Amino acid sequence: MILLAAILAGLVVGLFLDRLLNRPWMVPPLRKPWLVILAFLPQFFTLYLPAMRSRVPDGLASAGLIISLVLLLVFCWFNRGLSGVWLLALGLSCNLLVMAANGGFMPISPQTASRLVPSETLAALGTGSRFGTKDILLLPGQTYLVWLSDHFLPPEGCPYQVAFSFGDVVIAAGAFWLMVTQGKPLKTQRSS
Amino acid sequence: MKTKFAKLFINTQKINRQHIQIAFALLTLTLFVLGAGAPSDGGINCH
Repeated sequence: MILLAAILAGLVVGLFLDRLLNRPWMVPPLRKPWLVILAFLPQFFTLYLPAMRSRVPDGLASAGLIISLVLLLVFCWFNRGLSGVWLLALGLSCNLLVMAANGGFMPISPQTASRLVPSETLAALGTGSRFGTKDILLLPGQTYLVWLSDHFLPPEGCPYQVAFSFGDVVIAAGAFWLMVTQGKPLKTQRSS
Repeated sequence: MKTKFAKLFINTQKINRQHIQIAFALLTLTLFVLGAGAPSDGGINCH
């Protein structure tokens, strides 16, 4: 949700700026977009499709997730010339690193998770259980690269509570920047 | 009249093509962030 909001915000700001500068808004010229669709498929089947999700073993789901992230990194490589993509690649690498180091899922501490679900739900889950879509409940002491895990939260009064990682923040910034600049490097933007 | 129709046809084609390109770019980027990001609101059933 927060990541989709970044795309939408980037689109709105990009359209507004181009209207202000009296130039047409161009679609970011993404290369090999089919790679993203291909990369998303393992996640769609093992994590997002409810009927499949419960049947797929955790080991297979985590392997699918890692393969998916590697394919997305390949997509970033093909699009490395576009501004904002290096931020997407950096955020993706952070998430990939912490997930690979912790068995293929994004670690989240029970303390952070307690802000997201009722305490009864959390009590029923033990350490090492899957949580949410891509997360796994792990104590900070058991987590590798804990500073890259889902341990950021919005202020307590915020109506929408979500745990996110440093990588998520960088991905959101990259998506926003890509939409604002339409993938054009800054030098090109200044000269046009 | 013919010219007007031709212009309208060309404009419609242009708009459609651009709209499709925007939609495809948005879809690509949406799938990318959904795939690469891992925020959790604990919404999906835990098992």
